[in-house]
Amino acid sequence: MVDQSSNRKNRLEELKQEFDELDVRDRLETLLEFSDELPDLPQRYRARRDAGANRVYECQTLVYMWVEVVDGQVEIYADVSRDSPTVRGFISLLVAALFGAAPADVLAVKPTLLTELGLVEALGMVRIRGLHAILHRIKSEVERAVGG
Amino acid sequence: MSPTSIKSELLVSTDWVDEHRNDDNVRIVESDEDLLLYQQGHIREAVKIDWQTDLQDQTIRDYLSKDRFAELCASKGISNDTTVVFYGDKNNWWACYALWAFKLYGHEKCLIMDGGRRRWELDGCEFLREPEPDYPHGTYAAKDPDHSIRAFRDEVLQHQAAGKSMIDVRSPGEYTGELLHMEDYPQEGALRAGHIPGAASVPWSRAVNDDGTFKSEAELEQIYLNEAGLNRDGDTIIAYCRIGERSSHTWFVLKYLLGFDNVKNYDGSWTEWGNLVGVPIEKNI
Repeated sequence: MVDQSSNRKNRLEELKQEFDELDVRDRLETLLEFSDELPDLPQRYRARRDAGANRVYECQTLVYMWVEVVDGQVEIYADVSRDSPTVRGFISLLVAALFGAAPADVLAVKPTLLTELGLVEALGMVRIRGLHAILHRIKSEVERAVGG
Repeated sequence: MSPTSIKSELLVSTDWVDEHRNDDNVRIVESDEDLLLYQQGHIREAVKIDWQTDLQDQTIRDYLSKDRFAELCASKGISNDTTVVFYGDKNNWWACYALWAFKLYGHEKCLIMDGGRRRWELDGCEFLREPEPDYPHGTYAAKDPDHSIRAFRDEVLQHQAAGKSMIDVRSPGEYTGELLHMEDYPQEGALRAGHIPGAASVPWSRAVNDDGTFKSEAELEQIYLNEAGLNRDGDTIIAYCRIGERSSHTWFVLKYLLGFDNVKNYDGSWTEWGNLVGVPIEKNI
């Protein structure tokens, strides 16, 4: 378990490096691939989603997200419309990078992540703020779960 | 295919686009809120022009220079005499915004595909996940910006002080001052909530049907002429929203579906006015 956490920590660093080596076009293509790969929302959350629970209102897209800490590891589950691939892709990237991470590592993710990934340049300023809100939401849910 | 009747010479149906998308003198342009939507699937022949990363200057809050606009068009295979057909997501907000920007630089032949992506999808047409087609470079000379369709801050201040017509196309909650931003769009917030004193409230969404197509001329006349009291032959009318995209939708409706020659889009909109020091604001709460 500890090993997995440290892998997760490295996964975000790896992604930053990968994005750094890509031009704007390929960063967007990679984000779209992440959008394709977002795991389906587990069955156990679907009834609550259909009832409108856990909607991320800070985001302009219909996003439902559950962030939990189970056995000392962060778990993120989300449902995002396929008509919003940018938001879907970013959430999927965060799931890939942070699922299974230690809470402290999630809380340590800097608010400048989007700049570090080169996505501010790729997406433009207006789109970025909604994505910031998602990262912020994940961190505050983790903080709450660990009693921060 | 589409139940839409043609309401304006600038509005074409999905059928029309299907028939003409391979014409040499026609270029289909997709403009979306979501930057990746085009990459995920688009009309095969369409090119992408993004309202933010392509049409706006990334440093100064303004549009591209005339020369950069000309370069952008040429790179998309658009020449001065090309008929450009815009479509997109979100009821064609950004398609109308892109059309407005093209009109700003004097592009003559601009059309909107009525209903945008939604209508195309409802009509069972394909979106293809393919690279953007590469057309031979166009030959483009942009004109100086046409400020008869764009309102700036100082002009809006004078306009307001003179009690001339303005139309606020945001949601009722934004207009009254109850909401600091459009519901679900916190990134477009401002320091003050409310509206420009004297502006009439007509939410942009009243102009569209459920499928994203525009309402009929008679329905639009009822809303904008009879209810909002706008006058085709009167003084200039200024339309605004938050960042100028919803108001370019209404600008399109007034100018091209109802034949107003006297309407301008204030693209600074509430994200400028609601943050300005010392300008008047009215609330209804």
